Amino acid sequence: MKTTEGQPVLPPEFNLPRAVTEIEGRDGETYLEFTTHMVTFYRQTYGEHSRFFMALRDGRLIGAHCSRCQQVMVPAATWRCPNCDFAEMTEIELPHRGVLAQTAPITIFPSASFLGEAPFARGYVDVATEAPIASFLPSRLRTTTGLERPGIFVKGVELKLVFEDQREGSIRDIFWVPLAEVPEELRDKEPLLASELDFSTPEPPEVLRDAAKADALGEAIAAMRRLADQVARSRRAQADLAGRQHVVGVTTGGGDFTISVGDSKLAIAEGITSGCEYTLVVDDPAVFTRWVRDGSLTDAAVEGTLWLPHREAFQLLPILDRLPRSTRRDLGDAVG
Amino acid sequence: MKKVGIVGAGITECRGRWVEATYWDLFQQATRRACEDANMTVDEFDSVVYGIYNDIFEHQAIPESSLTGLIGMANKPGTRVTSGGATGFYAMRTAYMEVASGTSDVVLCVGGEKATDCFDPRSKTATPMVIDTIAKSWDPFYEYPLGATASDSYMQMCMGYDDTYPGDIGDSDVRARIIEILCHSGNRNPYAQRRDESVTVEQVKASRWIIAPFLRLLEACMYTEGAGAIIFAGEDKAREIAERTGQPPIWIRGIGAANESYSPGRGGNYKPLNRIASDRIAAERAYAAAGVKPSDIKIIEAHDAFVAQLMITMGELGFVPIGETRRLIDDGIMLDPKDLADDEAPGDGKLLINPSGGLIFGGHFVGGSNMFSTWSCRREMINRQVPLGLVHGTGAINACFGGVMVLELDEGGAR
Repeated sequence: MKTTEGQPVLPPEFNLPRAVTEIEGRDGETYLEFTTHMVTFYRQTYGEHSRFFMALRDGRLIGAHCSRCQQVMVPAATWRCPNCDFAEMTEIELPHRGVLAQTAPITIFPSASFLGEAPFARGYVDVATEAPIASFLPSRLRTTTGLERPGIFVKGVELKLVFEDQREGSIRDIFWVPLAEVPEELRDKEPLLASELDFSTPEPPEVLRDAAKADALGEAIAAMRRLADQVARSRRAQADLAGRQHVVGVTTGGGDFTISVGDSKLAIAEGITSGCEYTLVVDDPAVFTRWVRDGSLTDAAVEGTLWLPHREAFQLLPILDRLPRSTRRDLGDAVG
Repeated sequence: MKKVGIVGAGITECRGRWVEATYWDLFQQATRRACEDANMTVDEFDSVVYGIYNDIFEHQAIPESSLTGLIGMANKPGTRVTSGGATGFYAMRTAYMEVASGTSDVVLCVGGEKATDCFDPRSKTATPMVIDTIAKSWDPFYEYPLGATASDSYMQMCMGYDDTYPGDIGDSDVRARIIEILCHSGNRNPYAQRRDESVTVEQVKASRWIIAPFLRLLEACMYTEGAGAIIFAGEDKAREIAERTGQPPIWIRGIGAANESYSPGRGGNYKPLNRIASDRIAAERAYAAAGVKPSDIKIIEAHDAFVAQLMITMGELGFVPIGETRRLIDDGIMLDPKDLADDEAPGDGKLLINPSGGLIFGGHFVGGSNMFSTWSCRREMINRQVPLGLVHGTGAINACFGGVMVLELDEGGAR
């Protein structure tokens, strides 16, 4: 019997000290609130779904096929066809290629259980494309070209099924990548393992350099340096940066610069300085001017105009986004 | 089937959080106000239907059990209904059926939610845990483990629609203008959660993305705590109560519902990803039962979880063509309440959509949101003397559940 053991299902930080505390109501009266929980642990059976997940563990994708209506159900949510008087369905092996059934949303503000994993894309994959009737497989979607962003997972894009190297029997044992990102020699490999693709060193997009963007970069750097000066005088902004240490390069169509965060301060240097943890890419440097004027780097990343190499880079953006607001609250409207 | 009328309605103030009240008190407040509105006592109710969406929010399995005595329904039949976002609609449908069948003569239908007592220990805020609690609406095998949320589920469907009908809901200016109108409506609703806000097109377009390119922060509904109660009565009793109150009965002229398959797919009975078939089928059934067509209806209270979804819903309900729902704004079909006196009926080719402010500005206490919509629709029909109105509810993953109720002002119409 195969078993897997892993982390606790409930992370230790999912807990609260026992307490009854006072809270003021809108009516000015004092009320009480108590910390508590509604957690149930399960050893939940996969039951009739077990075959599907055992197949995933074996590196196979299976569905249920009805010989009467010819429909294919993937995942095999049932083995009795709801369209044909619950006729018994048979197991069929499915291809490791599919087509995205519709443009996929990208989640930026996840639920408590997925905090820190954003942004991520999920969507429905049409796998049994030959069948006249077919369900779509709810799927994780990943790219080897940096973070999931608009324009990659659009309706009709061809996808390749990828299996995690370590599988436990979970829908997270698999994900899909655009077929075009898979080296040709691996496109027919079944199962293709995640370790056979390179997710760690994505190729940054190319930027087109021109004089107008160089001017825009000059403006952006001047604006960011004014912001850095304001941060040095804003307690709120310093609190935003407390405990953080980052050196991040930025390549733009107007030239490069470096953002440093340390000792609760912000610093901007021209060029990519040595020791950068990673490099962001943006064609139009004005994205950073807009950030200083209360725009949002997070939004630029979400829209796909600001390219990030990995998820960790995304976690810094909401903190940077707070700085213009924090300095304005402490110092007035002189920023930017 | 007996003729069924609405004879009273009561709602609480919509708040982001009520630290002053538990759901016990919120349900009692709504019940009390409905009794006052109908000039009735709870002794006159034969039974109760509860709309409560999610046990985790209330932090009690069988939450209706603790309410029974507190709202004066001891020793009477009580049925709890839970159907995702459409819980309120389905609870009212149940109450309607109970009266229409002759089983009861007067039924109290009360729904509500205590949503934001949830707390996320990591972010030290409520929101991620509220999202997680709603995310438990997805199955534990295939969807929940992928990080599904209510927002991306509805946006998935909006993106599917946009794939098929580009240039309609994808125009952020049109969506932002709808938001601006809904804000003006919310300003007129004394119970609305965001009644004091002033939101402009520019502010909508500058607000943070939740899911690009269809959902900015100011385009989404809220998490609300509150409750709403509607009293349903058979024809004779409804007329008797109308005599007491001086308010005309609002008749349930037709009701329709449809739930799509949980699984999306191609062909067969699978849910199409580019439409809200549940809304369309529910509306067709309600119109057929009522013997009306969309062009007969002037006041609509639709379940606007998200503004892009509201546009599709208005298409599915037949008020604008699918693929051209932006005509709500382009052709000036959606009235700004600022351009209409409080007792004025919408003119030809015009619609009053979500005069409550909808779920985006009014409030979204899930188990009772559709009661909130019904309270508003009835109020506007009476005040403006409009003969027909429509209440819509949607819910569950990918907007699978849909419900439509066509309301009719009593011919007397007198206030």
